[in-house]
Amino acid sequence: MSEHADGFAGGGAHGPARTAPLTPLLESCTVLANDMLAPGVALLRLAAARIAGAVRPGQFVHLALPALEAHPLRRPLSVFCADAESGSIELVCQAVGEGTRHLLAAAPQTTIDCIGPVGRGWSPPPAARRVLLVGGGIGAAPLYLLARELTTRVAHDSRVASEVHLVLGAQSARALVCKEAFARLLAPDALHVTTDDGSEGVKGLTTEFADWLLAQQCFDYVATCGPAPMMAAIARLAAQNNVACEVSLERRMACGIGACLSCNVDMRDGVRRACVDGPVFDAQEVSW
Amino acid sequence: MVMPSLAVRLAGLELRNPLSVASGTFGSGREYSAVWESSVESRCAPNQGAPALSALGAMTTKGVSLRPWPGNQGTRIVECASGMLNSIGLQNPGVEEFCANDLVWLSGQDVPVIVNVCGHSADEYVQVIERLERETAVSAYEVNISCPNVDCGGMAFGTQPAAAEAVTAACRAATKRPLFVKLSPNVTDIAEIARAAASGGADALSLINTVAGMAIDVRTRAPVLPRVVGGLSGAAVKPIALYAVHRVSQAVKLPLVGMGGVRCATDVLEFMLAGATVVAVGTHNFTDPLAVLRIRDGLTDWCASEGVARIDEIIGGLRI
Repeated sequence: MSEHADGFAGGGAHGPARTAPLTPLLESCTVLANDMLAPGVALLRLAAARIAGAVRPGQFVHLALPALEAHPLRRPLSVFCADAESGSIELVCQAVGEGTRHLLAAAPQTTIDCIGPVGRGWSPPPAARRVLLVGGGIGAAPLYLLARELTTRVAHDSRVASEVHLVLGAQSARALVCKEAFARLLAPDALHVTTDDGSEGVKGLTTEFADWLLAQQCFDYVATCGPAPMMAAIARLAAQNNVACEVSLERRMACGIGACLSCNVDMRDGVRRACVDGPVFDAQEVSW
Repeated sequence: MVMPSLAVRLAGLELRNPLSVASGTFGSGREYSAVWESSVESRCAPNQGAPALSALGAMTTKGVSLRPWPGNQGTRIVECASGMLNSIGLQNPGVEEFCANDLVWLSGQDVPVIVNVCGHSADEYVQVIERLERETAVSAYEVNISCPNVDCGGMAFGTQPAAAEAVTAACRAATKRPLFVKLSPNVTDIAEIARAAASGGADALSLINTVAGMAIDVRTRAPVLPRVVGGLSGAAVKPIALYAVHRVSQAVKLPLVGMGGVRCATDVLEFMLAGATVVAVGTHNFTDPLAVLRIRDGLTDWCASEGVARIDEIIGGLRI
């Protein structure tokens, strides 16, 4: 968004591949379903026709907590899945504090006020043929629309991304909340599960598995979202293997539209706003 | 019935309505302008054809300093009951960049522009004003002597009467434009600081800035904000702000810009009754980006239903 360019925010730090986000919309959304996926994690399905039609992979919505005057701040949640046809979006919501716990309890028909879609999403190089996604915990959620777009591209055009791999990690099998959705998209040998306790897939960390995978196979784009130390490690591995890498960062946010400068991200060349300059950033430009 | 008039006069400025925004919550207005324009709620939509920001009585910018300030590192905000703490640290690109960029844009928005000015020393405040004196798009200055989030300058000037008066006088000498001074609630007696700013030559006073506070993460046993202290804002501070406006209105004859936890038209009316000529919406913009537009419509509705022809009739109309 060139009109936001100033000394600290926005500007030409990103290549031309990064498209300008549109002005976010305000939409009064209705809860269609709110299902527990695991203890403390829910899949929130909202009727949000305008957002569903506009959202790009990696963008988020900024939700006002319904009827909670003690909680004035909205909560940014990545869009996990969107269906323009039915006009619905799905969000994976983890209970972190009191506000998100209320969101987990939102009953169907509840109205939730959303700003969205917000932010710059994933920008895989157009020529990327072999893509590695690395998701940790519910951090896998913002990777789903990217995986869907890339695999759809493969189906339509054999010259582009020929293979999409996902390393999906969590503490235990129960916490692998997005696995079924990815399993429907990806080839069985392209979905690599790791758990800290070994209750499913390979026992160990996503970073260990990604390290091994990057050594075995050639990739030309890595996208990752999860705990910050995991993303920092994946960014390092990608750099060592000379692979372009993007990360989706999480910050506390107030306005969610780029005005308040609350969601600061330290980059090599200054401060950026996670909300509109991100949440997806070039991993090598982030000051880890 | 004729449409009630929301117009007010503030230190020589003619404003369409008594609404502004609290410095730092609204950037330079570009982002909110875009959201307002894309809003589908017809009642909240700005006037057809007019720039969105012209729905404001006055636009108050984020703090502008002489040179670029990078802001504070690490976590900058945390929610608390009915409010939030911020520790942004007045991040801004400096006055040159502000003039070349945001001010050029603001000059086309058909709204009086109040530039919030910050500095590490009295001399820096003066130099920012001197640079802005060359710009015709500036309607007034709001001197920020009350930010709790910077180590040097900021609140240090706003908590001692002599320093408040000196900074005000130095800024006064640099401009004939309306000069507002923004006061901190983090003092023993805000009326004393208000009198000092008045002696220094202020044309109006803005109050309150945020209330000093902190939050602790029990898991890490560390403060949530790296600088420990942050500025509390939101509905939690409204009674503090309202009383400060009332106190100061009794102590000085200057017009006041009231702010602190304003969320609805009734809140605005309370501040006006307590003595504010203009009322600013701050933290609530984050909760509801259309807040100012809804409040503007709410004020019109209230005036119409109460038979108030001109809203400025109620300023200072508190019955004690």
